[in-house]
Amino acid sequence: MNRQHNSIRVSVENFSRQALGAFFRAEPEKTGLSAPIQRILLCKIRKDFRFYPLRGKSQALCAFFLAAALVLFLFSGCSKREKTAAGNPQGSGAETASAGGTLTIFTWAEMFPPEVLKSFEKDTGYKINMVNFDENETMLTKLETSGGSGYDLIIADDYIIETVIEKGLAQKLKPDKIPNFGNINPVYQSQFYDPSNEYTIPYGAGVQTIVYNPGIVNINIQGFTELWDPRLKNNLAVVANPRVVTGMALKTLGYSYNTEDVGAIREAGSILLSLAPNIRLIRDDKLDDEILSGEVAAALMYTSDATNAKIENPGLKVVFPREGVGFGIMAGFIPSRAANEEAAHAFFTYILDPQRGAQCFEFLGYYSTYAASDNLISEKYREFLTLPEGIGEMEMMDNISPEAEEAHSIVWTAFKAAAGHK
Amino acid sequence: MESRKSAKKAPQKDKPARNGKLTLCGTTFSVLPLYLFTLAFVLAPLIYMFVLSFMQRGGSWGVEMSLSFDNYLRITEPVYLGTFTESIKLALLCTLFVALLGYPFGYFMARLSPLWRQRVMLLLIVPFWTSSLMRLYGWIIFFRANGTLDHALMGIGLTQGPLRLLYSYPAVVTGMVYALLPFMAYSVYASAEKLDRSLVEASRNLGASALRAFFSVSFPLTMPGLFSGIVLTFIPSMGLFFIADILGGSKVVLVGNLIQEQLMRAHDWPFAAALSVCLMALTSIFLFLYSRLTRALGSGGELEGLV
Repeated sequence: MNRQHNSIRVSVENFSRQALGAFFRAEPEKTGLSAPIQRILLCKIRKDFRFYPLRGKSQALCAFFLAAALVLFLFSGCSKREKTAAGNPQGSGAETASAGGTLTIFTWAEMFPPEVLKSFEKDTGYKINMVNFDENETMLTKLETSGGSGYDLIIADDYIIETVIEKGLAQKLKPDKIPNFGNINPVYQSQFYDPSNEYTIPYGAGVQTIVYNPGIVNINIQGFTELWDPRLKNNLAVVANPRVVTGMALKTLGYSYNTEDVGAIREAGSILLSLAPNIRLIRDDKLDDEILSGEVAAALMYTSDATNAKIENPGLKVVFPREGVGFGIMAGFIPSRAANEEAAHAFFTYILDPQRGAQCFEFLGYYSTYAASDNLISEKYREFLTLPEGIGEMEMMDNISPEAEEAHSIVWTAFKAAAGHK
Repeated sequence: MESRKSAKKAPQKDKPARNGKLTLCGTTFSVLPLYLFTLAFVLAPLIYMFVLSFMQRGGSWGVEMSLSFDNYLRITEPVYLGTFTESIKLALLCTLFVALLGYPFGYFMARLSPLWRQRVMLLLIVPFWTSSLMRLYGWIIFFRANGTLDHALMGIGLTQGPLRLLYSYPAVVTGMVYALLPFMAYSVYASAEKLDRSLVEASRNLGASALRAFFSVSFPLTMPGLFSGIVLTFIPSMGLFFIADILGGSKVVLVGNLIQEQLMRAHDWPFAAALSVCLMALTSIFLFLYSRLTRALGSGGELEGLV
């Protein structure tokens, strides 16, 4: 027993020495602390780490109570956390139903201008509780765990909404509660995730465009094909979305983004390998920084980044690829067991107002999905936030079969590795 | 209740064995919470992951309950095997650089005066107060074309145009070495601090040169620190996928990147689980071989602060 105690004591002392540093053992004149203060600190540490060998019964009892307290603490901590994580929105929903009004919105950060949120609270009396996620996948996992409750309104990407609806986690909208439903631009309606517009209200759309700096590369880029040009060696950035990048190769070969033909995907993969020497960077966000700083000469990027880049440097060129334009829609829906669907409908109606819609899209930096708002967007942003004339064929990315998904995954990994080894 | 009774009973049984039994009892109870915690939050997820790795993805979301080895067979695809060799290669390279830089760092830190030792330690700790992501973005600003480094170099006339150092393999290695250096420095320091200087003095008195004294006295005595530093560097560097993503422009594909992508993009949890199981098995094998190696090298299998 003694030996064991000693070893514990030694290790505890070692710990105190190492963790708190040699600071307190140093000569007082060298630590810069006055000797008495140091002595006090030293005593305190020694005391804190001294092992009090308890005797007999008291030791066992003490150990038992400490252990019990720890276990209790642990589990109380757990249940508490569960409550706040999963149950809190639920709980607050229940509370608010009686109080008449919290609207829990679950979406990415910075989706709405703060003024609009504030004026909504003032005009309608509902209080907004904004909860954020980083990835669509996180959202679906949480929504699945809570069985469709906890949130009143969710805005996410098209492909994940298809799964949400399939799983029955969304409820049908009540059109009579959204009188200005007609403001929506029909281009962004009746898409694969919600063919008869029963569940969703689109809120912003993005296309994948090529942005390039004609000052650095002297190529007239009109479509994806030109990105293979050897003059772009190590000078091209693309988004980190396998479906978009492999889709680009599929498009050049004349296939659809959504082909489930594994052979076609592999073929696209092989031509992607010849694109690898041009790739400098694969990333989803902030590609505008890279093209503005001159890190890359050309990039395949999403709308909001392209808008930023073009506004910062009007000399850049934005190209809608002639092979076809891929696009995506963000849309709002009401979860199946939302506590306050009344407030959610009110919110939809509020932002569908042409003026407020325009304000939102200017803030968001994505294409306006409300036709009524298009002309109200300020001159500075209008050309970037409304669909250009003659944009050509547009295609969305649906969910595809597991086999096709697996082929994409192999092609994508090989492409990234090839880009790294050039 | 029952356990409490037995704790009460134990001391009355027989006097000679009293102390030993009590300690056993006390230890059991004080370790129990940690034990339960480990079971619930370490073992259970591991089992979950292991079981998951034999299932199949269910369409575009979710998991289908069906037992098969398909996920493991998929890993044998050359592309995926490539990510494993790539990870090991990068981890070895980083560990080498970290050891080369971190060993002298820790060794000399231990020889500083106490005051300076505190200051240097503080300098090593301070960066940990900000998020590592934040610090990585700092590297981006530093390395970026026409960024800080380029400006400085062009300012003094060393280079003419941007160097384009960012989004390359060296940038990833730099980031990894930067992130892992403190672990090596600290473990070497812990060893070097305990080093009995009088042994070195003795060897010098007996006529050894400074170099000879270092290699025959100081180095062998600080080996446990170096060895544990290597473990603390090698294992994490297999999994620091975000450094490869941020500084390498996602072009360096490590197993960690692949796992993250399978989880978040492809929604293929079972495959991600299979990859994780393989990665864990691989690191365990490495650890085992390594402990054998250190034992053979005569450090008695001792790893400073780890074992």
